[in-house]
Amino acid sequence: MLDGLKDVVRKSSIHVCLINTGGCNGCDIEVVALLSPRYDLEQYGIYVHNNPREADVLLITGAVTEQWKKNLQRIYAKAPEPKVVVTIGNCPLTGDVFNQEGCSVYAPVSDFIPVDAEIPGCPPRPSEILAAILAVGPDAIAAKGRQKP
Amino acid sequence: MSSVIWYLYEFARKSWAENFAVAKTNPEIVETPERFRDFPQVFPDYCISCGACTAACPAPNAIKLVRSEDTAEEEGKAYPVINNRGCIRCGFCAEVCPTDPKTITCGENHLIREEFTILPADRMFIIDDYLCIRCKKCMKACPVYGAIYEEDNKIVIDQSVCISCGECLKNCPVKGAVKGIYVANVQEQKDIINLTVNTLEEAIEEKRDDISHLSDKEVYKFDLPIDELVERARSILANDDLILDTFQKITDRLKLRIVTWDEDKCKKCRLCVDECPSGAITYDEKEDVIKRDTKKCLRCSTCYQTCPFGVAGYYVSRFLLDPPSLEEGVIHITVKASQLPIGAD
Repeated sequence: MLDGLKDVVRKSSIHVCLINTGGCNGCDIEVVALLSPRYDLEQYGIYVHNNPREADVLLITGAVTEQWKKNLQRIYAKAPEPKVVVTIGNCPLTGDVFNQEGCSVYAPVSDFIPVDAEIPGCPPRPSEILAAILAVGPDAIAAKGRQKP
Repeated sequence: MSSVIWYLYEFARKSWAENFAVAKTNPEIVETPERFRDFPQVFPDYCISCGACTAACPAPNAIKLVRSEDTAEEEGKAYPVINNRGCIRCGFCAEVCPTDPKTITCGENHLIREEFTILPADRMFIIDDYLCIRCKKCMKACPVYGAIYEEDNKIVIDQSVCISCGECLKNCPVKGAVKGIYVANVQEQKDIINLTVNTLEEAIEEKRDDISHLSDKEVYKFDLPIDELVERARSILANDDLILDTFQKITDRLKLRIVTWDEDKCKKCRLCVDECPSGAITYDEKEDVIKRDTKKCLRCSTCYQTCPFGVAGYYVSRFLLDPPSLEEGVIHITVKASQLPIGAD
């Protein structure tokens, strides 16, 4: 009964924290486009906070630089359970154009924290990001919430 | 006050209340437009395994050439594989792909369309400042404002504005002052020039007996029909306008220098052997003969000025194609002795 109530609440109100671990900022701009009236992220009950302590979903962009290796894990630890990690763009997957010989990028992100969903593209379209968040977000959070820690 | 009334009116509308209750984005406006360049598509059958796509790709992990396994019937084929996790959808791979049809396609913008080639016309018009008399008839005839302008007392054609209509060439009163240069088929043009010059030189060589008797004041004239020359030029490049234009430029500008060699007068002094700048004149010790290699000769006249016995003869010839047509035209050749001083005198 309580779980059912929690599910409903969690599904209808998702809080998102955007983390750029050293990318070109293009994916962040696509997320800003999501917030704009054209795509209007908040109509789905998704709110962007830049505070991991309030976040249910961590949106990660960028190709993990030297300074972000430890901080990424710290931020992940600060997010309350249940939490879902979604990576946006190619940088968190392969390092993309930054992963040249001799560059200090430590992609993929999945080496440091568990990743639930990946959105390839450089940058992906806002609608692709939205579809991924909606596909993975509500159910995953609800399911994770039922797991015993 | 008026804005308050407007708000009351707006809020009272039914559609506003409906939209307020169920706020939804119109799905049409978030649809992917057709012009959107998505991940590239690969058609392995067309691939020639050149590797141009991998060289053009700016992302290190995006594209790889892989080779399928050999089977009993045929060898394995190499073809590119796109890794969507690394691809940045720039479309460079599709742009550089040389196969037709393309092995890799990516959106629309890699199609380089024919009408945007850099050289829209086959001729480029320039003004020869040495021959130009500054009459400005070309400027008046030019239909494009600013295509021909005067700068530092020179008339210049602005190539970025010129539409290659050829009006300047038609209205120029001086032969050769405005030149229409064919920008394509450069190698064929070179071949035609070589062919024509060699033919003219051979024709003069055949008349050597007549020429060698010429005194300083005399001029030797003869005509060369161009039927055979035109046929051979057409076999190089079948463009009559270009051939006629090339012939006219050659006959107008060419000043062919002829070196004759009279071995009977030679006393084997070998002065010319040391003087020749290109090594065309050699002394054969076994046969005790001085030889001149016509292929190496620069026609510089040094041997003619060096020889004390008049072995080398030096003549200058000029040409005219008249009338200027490929069918009826005849090349008039004029040969006369050079006015250079000779060592013997």
